[in-house]
Amino acid sequence: MTGPAGDGRGRGDRVYAPDFLTELFRNPLDPGYADAAARRRERQTPPAGWRHWSVRSVSLVVAVALGFLFAVAYRQTLEAEPGRSQARSGLVEQIKQRETETDRLSVRADELRAEVARQREAALGGSEAARLRTLEAGTGLGPVRGDGVVVRLADAPQNPDAVTGADVGPSRVIYSDLQGVANDLWAAGAEAIAINGQRLTAMSTIRSAGQAILVDFRPVSGPYEVSAIGPGSMRDRYEDSRSALTMRKVAEDTGLSFGVRKAEDLTLPAAPDPRLRYAQPSVSPTPSPSGADRSASPGPPGSRTSPSPSGGGR
Amino acid sequence: MIAVLALLAGVVLGVWLDPTVPTALQPYLPIAVVAALDAVFGGVRAKLDRIFDDKQFVVSFISNVLVAGLIVYLGDQLGVGGQLSTGVVVVLGVRIFGNVAAIRRHLFRA
Repeated sequence: MTGPAGDGRGRGDRVYAPDFLTELFRNPLDPGYADAAARRRERQTPPAGWRHWSVRSVSLVVAVALGFLFAVAYRQTLEAEPGRSQARSGLVEQIKQRETETDRLSVRADELRAEVARQREAALGGSEAARLRTLEAGTGLGPVRGDGVVVRLADAPQNPDAVTGADVGPSRVIYSDLQGVANDLWAAGAEAIAINGQRLTAMSTIRSAGQAILVDFRPVSGPYEVSAIGPGSMRDRYEDSRSALTMRKVAEDTGLSFGVRKAEDLTLPAAPDPRLRYAQPSVSPTPSPSGADRSASPGPPGSRTSPSPSGGGR
Repeated sequence: MIAVLALLAGVVLGVWLDPTVPTALQPYLPIAVVAALDAVFGGVRAKLDRIFDDKQFVVSFISNVLVAGLIVYLGDQLGVGGQLSTGVVVVLGVRIFGNVAAIRRHLFRA
């Protein structure tokens, strides 16, 4: 496609343009046409007879091939498009299906957990069951009730960038905010914490996956409510903590909302059973009950009938 | 005129036969179409310039398609397929644009 200069056609010798792009813009036609025309002019006699017609028919065949090519390419593009959108909608469908399945299964797991607790209570009975409940409440494996505080965090109202349409800046609650709030609530004396109804245990994780925040590998979405049960002084101690001060500043700067309020009679649900794969229990079969007494106040027996996540406070 | 009829015949043939493009050739189809469009607009402009030449048209079509496909193939092998096909599209696009401008001058005298 490096064409000889168009103005060199009269002289017959080919002058190659020094600047390919300039030449391309100035003279987009194949120089071969001009050369052929010049040759024809020199000969003065049009090539008649079968030779002319054979070249002509080849050119017609090429025209047919062109139309064929266009039609095939057009159909190809049309066929590829529904395939792509079908694949996308299929994936969306699958995601929705799996999500409902996960919801169904976790509801079922909660039911079964309640059933197990009921059965165990029936089997053990009396003081053994009470001690087990106390232990469970302390470790986060049993639902608990009590007074405490609710820390509420919410993303700033959608403020998309005018140019890119993208959500910019730290106006969203990120996982480390929740981590900080939870840690400082523990430090302020909390005995049980739940984020949006997900109870935290010693093994709980708060991490991010893309835009979503996962608590114990379950996604939680804003507004986030961190409910904590603890002593009456917990609120004041938390207000002085580092995460509270940081979040207040962030809320002032970005429009993210952050609030701490006292709440009475919170009910925090049980966390799912930890799947211990490597750690084996090494305590003696009859542990002294003194270790359990430091834990949260056990809920009355009636409180464990409803294990549904309701930890969001009131 | 006959060329336009032949083009239409080709379109009808393509729709009627409805061939499936082999998967190996599919990436080259769009580039081949752009190269073919360049040859077509070049031919139309040459026709209007009264310097159309059948042999030149045939050769430019075949070589355009082949060279464009070859460049994209080379790019794929070298791992710069996207960039090289962009280059091909730019060069051919500029030529198409220039030729269409010349055709426009012929048809509308503007």
